[in-house]
Amino acid sequence: MKMRPRGTDGSLLSSLPWTMAALTFSVAPHLPYLPIWIIAAFFGCAAWRYVIEKQRRMLPSSWFRALLALLCFLGVFATYSAISGVGPGSALLAIMASLKLLETRKRRDQFVLLFISVFLVMSSLLREQYLWSLPYMIVSVIVIMTAWLRMSAVSRETAKQSFATGGRLLLYAAPIAIAMWIFFPRLATPFWAVPIDTGRASSGLSDTMSPGDISSLSLSNEVAFRVTFDGDVPEPRDRYWRGLVLSRFNGRTWTGLEPSMSAAARQQIAVFGDPVAYEITLEPTRQQWVFALDMPMSWSLPETFMGPQQQLARSLPIDQRVAYEAISYPEYRVEADSSSLYRRWYSRLPENSNQRTVELARQMRDTAGSDRAFIDAVLQKFHNEEFFYTLEPPPLGNNPVDRFLFETRRGFCEHYASAFSVLMRSAGIPSRIVLGYHGGEINPMGGHLIVRQSDAHAWTEVWLEDLGWYRVDPTAAVAPDRIDYGASDAAFEGLGEAWGLSAPSQLLHRLSLTLDALNVKWNDWILGYGPDTQNRFMEWLGMDNPDQRKMLFTMIGLVFGMIALISLLLALRYRAPAKDPAARLYQRFIKKTGLVPGIGETAQQFAHRASSSDALPPADIESVTTAYLDARYGPADTSSFARLKRAVAAIG
Amino acid sequence: MQQGNTLEHLHASESAQRAVMERARKALGGIILGKNDQITLALACLLARGHLLIEDLPGLGKTMLAQSLARVLGLSFRRIQFTSDLLPADIIGVSVFRQDRGEFEFQPGPVFSQLILADEVNRATPKAQSALLEAMEEHQVSVDGTTRELPEPFFVVATQNPGDQIGTFPLPESQLDRFLMRVELGYPNEASERELLAGEDRRELLKDIEAVANPDMLNALQESASAVHVTDALFDYIQALVRHTRESADIEIGLSPRGAQALVAAAKALAFIENHSGAYPDDVQAVFAAIAGHRLKPASGTRFRTPTELCQHVLDSVAIP
Repeated sequence: MKMRPRGTDGSLLSSLPWTMAALTFSVAPHLPYLPIWIIAAFFGCAAWRYVIEKQRRMLPSSWFRALLALLCFLGVFATYSAISGVGPGSALLAIMASLKLLETRKRRDQFVLLFISVFLVMSSLLREQYLWSLPYMIVSVIVIMTAWLRMSAVSRETAKQSFATGGRLLLYAAPIAIAMWIFFPRLATPFWAVPIDTGRASSGLSDTMSPGDISSLSLSNEVAFRVTFDGDVPEPRDRYWRGLVLSRFNGRTWTGLEPSMSAAARQQIAVFGDPVAYEITLEPTRQQWVFALDMPMSWSLPETFMGPQQQLARSLPIDQRVAYEAISYPEYRVEADSSSLYRRWYSRLPENSNQRTVELARQMRDTAGSDRAFIDAVLQKFHNEEFFYTLEPPPLGNNPVDRFLFETRRGFCEHYASAFSVLMRSAGIPSRIVLGYHGGEINPMGGHLIVRQSDAHAWTEVWLEDLGWYRVDPTAAVAPDRIDYGASDAAFEGLGEAWGLSAPSQLLHRLSLTLDALNVKWNDWILGYGPDTQNRFMEWLGMDNPDQRKMLFTMIGLVFGMIALISLLLALRYRAPAKDPAARLYQRFIKKTGLVPGIGETAQQFAHRASSSDALPPADIESVTTAYLDARYGPADTSSFARLKRAVAAIG
Repeated sequence: MQQGNTLEHLHASESAQRAVMERARKALGGIILGKNDQITLALACLLARGHLLIEDLPGLGKTMLAQSLARVLGLSFRRIQFTSDLLPADIIGVSVFRQDRGEFEFQPGPVFSQLILADEVNRATPKAQSALLEAMEEHQVSVDGTTRELPEPFFVVATQNPGDQIGTFPLPESQLDRFLMRVELGYPNEASERELLAGEDRRELLKDIEAVANPDMLNALQESASAVHVTDALFDYIQALVRHTRESADIEIGLSPRGAQALVAAAKALAFIENHSGAYPDDVQAVFAAIAGHRLKPASGTRFRTPTELCQHVLDSVAIP
């Protein structure tokens, strides 16, 4: 009969799975970022704890738990070499939750666990704020609330009822949360800066280009940026989104300059024709490069400058989504220093590499007679000879350009841009490679242009005496469709038809476009709700000269008003049991005494308390109480009710 | 003939019944000092035709209370000391072959009395316990195929020592339910204890005590108690209490419908003793711990250490409609 000491009693068996579900829900958004051992520890601890409860085993001893905690702490430190920041912070939270499970003995410990899950849910926002984050968070919070209700509420309530109650409670809180979100003053400079995970790989373009190494072409459908044009959308062939410029070649790899500011760069540009005005919403790249339609003349992003090669960069990496307006001129001319030093710098090639290419270039230049004729000849060569555009080119060796031009003849924009540039340089024509994006897809739902990572492109610029830096896209000579329709469209339709999937895949494509349009609205209205948008919204609501004080007071007023309103509605919904006449008379007596009866306080106990408070003469209290008890609990008899009426009348 | 008259007389004269109750309370209060609440509960239990379980440490007057109850109410009294070797026959009785008459003769056991003190009921084996508990439930015993009626009124006071753990068989919940009330005596207060120490031997006092009632009168009193008026408002309150015990997270097993019936019966009996016009919420509250204390099973990990605390918490959480 004797219980084993300190074994669990199985009392948490019914509520523990809910607590674990709440924890799992809140850990889930962190899973892609957590090291595998923490994920394993989390699920391991959860399973272990459940078995302990199920089989009434003992919880691990405290020194063991302390040791485990220390090991995990060191593990986190070893994994991240830091303990602050979003990554280590959420890793520590997850590991804390796992270990706390192992010492969860009572309801109070479960409360702590649920608090941790609330924190985990909140901290997932520090990482990503996707469209689906909000619905997911709502579901997680409802699960947490359900877990809360499961362990503290009435044990006879079914899980479904608890779930409904959790949802209802959240619904009561929703208007308050919305009011706070709308009116809480947004600051131009945030109070705190969220430490960014530096360990994360950057998405977007790389700073160097080595055609022939492992194929690094991004086929990802991830959005690089979205563009809304003020007027007409330029033709696909003209959509060159300028990014960074590579000008040094070591025989294999093209590298560029670090971002730097050049006051002269902008003055070298001469523009013609009509400008194109547009707004770009750039997804975070963790790099400094800023993209704009070739050739940008003005841009609204602060701290952003033009480099010596007309590339735009911000002084800080783009860690968060930014939106900026820009004006570009599709027709332009970039003058440059015509000194021989400058020319030589842009025509440099490493010695003893790609010898055959150098030979070929000299030969072709001699035949062509002029620089421009030479360029045309090279493009004609790409167009007429057996060169192919493919996303899966064979690897190239030590002299990649030689091998590409004379042997494999297969490649994508990088290969052609690199080969073209080397040919130009071999003939003494200055050239450089521009990395950026080309094309983009118009979303008919939102009317905006989506530029994806798969639209990444490389093209070349050559310097000609009379034209300045002049854009030449050798890929256009090989695969004109790639330039005329864009990468994704061409590839997509071909695939669909080849597999006979065109109908469903079209539908899928439509769906993805709709989702994208929604995402834009989400970015604009929810995530982009900053100081400017807020001010505009306040003015739209009719607030004159909105300032932070006004918004703060409005928010406080609204929140209190809504709490009052919701409480009132709940109070109205609560139907008090119908009172009989005796109870109503007695209620009047209670009011007269000025005392509040406690829950479960009987009339006699109340009378005793009231008598010692001198609110009313004890004799009156006595007569009301006896008359009330007789009328309410005695045999049905009108005389006692009449007595009560008289007694209550007597004190009034 | 005489009996009929007396009954009618008693029914007619409520005041006479009250006087009997008052005298009984006073006489008991003179012997068991400083325990008026428990005496009142014991009397209410008896009036509600229920059996009483007294749970407390030795030497607090459990036996004395049982004996004086029997004495004051004029009931025949037998005491059965429960031990681990007690057999059902030791309680019920046994048929003995009489050589001289050549036939079996039933020797009635101690259970054939009006008031039985089952002392330390948890010391006996479940088999012996169940013999007593069956008698309590059925008011009759079966021996050798013959069913024998027990005397009326039949009232069992069982005592149980909660401190004993080794070698005992605590009554299971289902059998605890057979007892209408469970009371704890507790230590007397300073003044009562002084009086106890300085005064006469209680056993001597007991001998001098006079019966204030007889079985017939007790029967009449029981009938009057069950006739006490209960309004819908009070039923609402009792149902609210019962519902709370079933829904509270602190309680694993709430009050059964039989427990709820017991609550009504006990409240009526107490209202009768207290001379209330009907059963009041006060009466319900006064008997609640005694009725519910042994019927509720607290949830594990609850913050209430004793059943009394738990019952008080229930009373403090349920509004009186």
